[in-house]
Amino acid sequence: MSGRPGAVSTSTTFRGAPRFDPWRHRFAVTTVAATLVLIFVGGLVTSTGSGLSVPDWPLSYGTLMPPMVGGVFYEHGHRMVASLVGFLTLVLAVWTARAEARRGVRRLAWAALAAVVIQGVLGGLTVIYLLPTLVSVAHACLAQTFFCLVIALSYVTSREGRVAEPTPDVAGLREAAMTATAIVYVQLMIGAVMRHMGAGLAIPDFPLAFGGLLPPLASTPVLVHFAHRLGALVVLVAVTRLFLRARRAGDPRFARLAAALLGLVLVQIGLGAATVLTVKAVTPTTLHVATGAAILGGCWLAALRAFRLLPPAPAVLEAPISRPVPQS
Amino acid sequence: MSIRSSLSVLALIGLSCAACGGAKEEAPPPAPAATTAAPAAPAGGAAAGSASVAGKISFEGTPPAPEKIKTSADPKCQALHPTGLERQTVDTSGGGLKDVFVYVKSGLSGSYPAPTEPVLLDQHGCMYSPHIVVVQAGQPLKIRNSDDTLHNIHPRPAVNQEFNIGQPRQGMESTKSFDKPEVMIPVGCDVHPWMRAYIGVLNHPFYAVTKEDGTYEIKGLPPGEYEVEAWHEKLKNQTQKITVKDGEKAKADFAYKS
Repeated sequence: MSGRPGAVSTSTTFRGAPRFDPWRHRFAVTTVAATLVLIFVGGLVTSTGSGLSVPDWPLSYGTLMPPMVGGVFYEHGHRMVASLVGFLTLVLAVWTARAEARRGVRRLAWAALAAVVIQGVLGGLTVIYLLPTLVSVAHACLAQTFFCLVIALSYVTSREGRVAEPTPDVAGLREAAMTATAIVYVQLMIGAVMRHMGAGLAIPDFPLAFGGLLPPLASTPVLVHFAHRLGALVVLVAVTRLFLRARRAGDPRFARLAAALLGLVLVQIGLGAATVLTVKAVTPTTLHVATGAAILGGCWLAALRAFRLLPPAPAVLEAPISRPVPQS
Repeated sequence: MSIRSSLSVLALIGLSCAACGGAKEEAPPPAPAATTAAPAAPAGGAAAGSASVAGKISFEGTPPAPEKIKTSADPKCQALHPTGLERQTVDTSGGGLKDVFVYVKSGLSGSYPAPTEPVLLDQHGCMYSPHIVVVQAGQPLKIRNSDDTLHNIHPRPAVNQEFNIGQPRQGMESTKSFDKPEVMIPVGCDVHPWMRAYIGVLNHPFYAVTKEDGTYEIKGLPPGEYEVEAWHEKLKNQTQKITVKDGEKAKADFAYKS
């Protein structure tokens, strides 16, 4: 671990470029992976209807480890994975605070820690106040935001995030990646509202809606559900646009990521259909939640890369991070 | 950020956890009482007359097949039901329709103070007993865990206050009440999703739950004209108008078809 005293003063190298710390980067990537697992496990809680199987918080039936039976397995399991992610984030924040030279990155790490603490409290409030829709939706959305924060931490601590050579953004990838990220985030918000207001089956057929292209939009659940379906098409367009621009740019770092994202979006649409057609069976429904998070994370990573590697005009980038730094 | 700042954040997290740790744990009960499942409380107590209404609920046709329940999610429940559980929501095995809640829906005047004696809802064998429990608004509802496993009790009322409490140990008891009349409040255990019962809350004591043979009797009615309703968890509500005089017994049968 490079978080030794004095690391801040020695963590810059030639011409001020920050030194790459592979262990901190790996730790951040581990936190990202754990967060994706946490989102899946959190999705399982809702999919299995176990959200209130442990009625108290922060303890579970007055203990740290209740019998893992029935719905308790999912709800308390979610709490255990959440505690692990909270701990990883705490370590990452303290490590970053001690070893990172860039103030913005240190702030990012503290923001991630704050987000995970607030997320834990929101999770508790959902239990104590019996799953109020607003709090449950906020819990779901903050999960995605936290996921993006740890992805950003992971990227800025990567070798590429520190020392890669920038090239001009000839294909407009910055805009395409940011647009896709924003659209996916809004789509996830609509999905969270739909899920927590119990509108996941408000339109019971697929691909049609009540046998037609446009369902009767008189009720809010149908409206929200239909908005989520339309949102899926908008996401498909946005990610396809990103993919086409990445191909045009000919940069494999973007082309591969965008191709994977496009594949994930197609899988995600299939999972959405399966969710409806299986009447919200646990596996497709939960995979739909986790895949949505993965798409958001991928778009966000593409945006981070684009902003780091592709300056908008003829390359004007600060000298300290414009040339590779020899490894220590 | 300095070590001091890091420690401050740690302390803040600790404080927030400590603050949240104030969630009240259910106090263990004094001593577990008898675990015999009590039937729904019969009408009585605050009765103000000597009239009554009685009848039988019949069901014509073939009832739906019993629902098969897997209890494998909790080994202790599975041990209690090694061959699995079957739930027949339309139970006609006794010759009539069982577990129909019959009550005076309208026509009553005056007030009927809620009894102070609690009505028992037991969790026994990873099932609720009785399946239909009735209280007056404000009357205590005693909830007991007779099982050697944990349960949470989570009624989902539409007009009363929702709650969700845990009973992790055998013999635990909690007492709750509902302030407003409501027919019916579904209650379930999120740990064992197959567990389901219904709580009826009335502002008078004139109700009954049908027995295995489908019969019921509501006693102690004051003379008058009433609307009587029959409620079943799977079948549509039915109502009848009746007129009773003091000392008389009115008849109100209800017939359901598949």
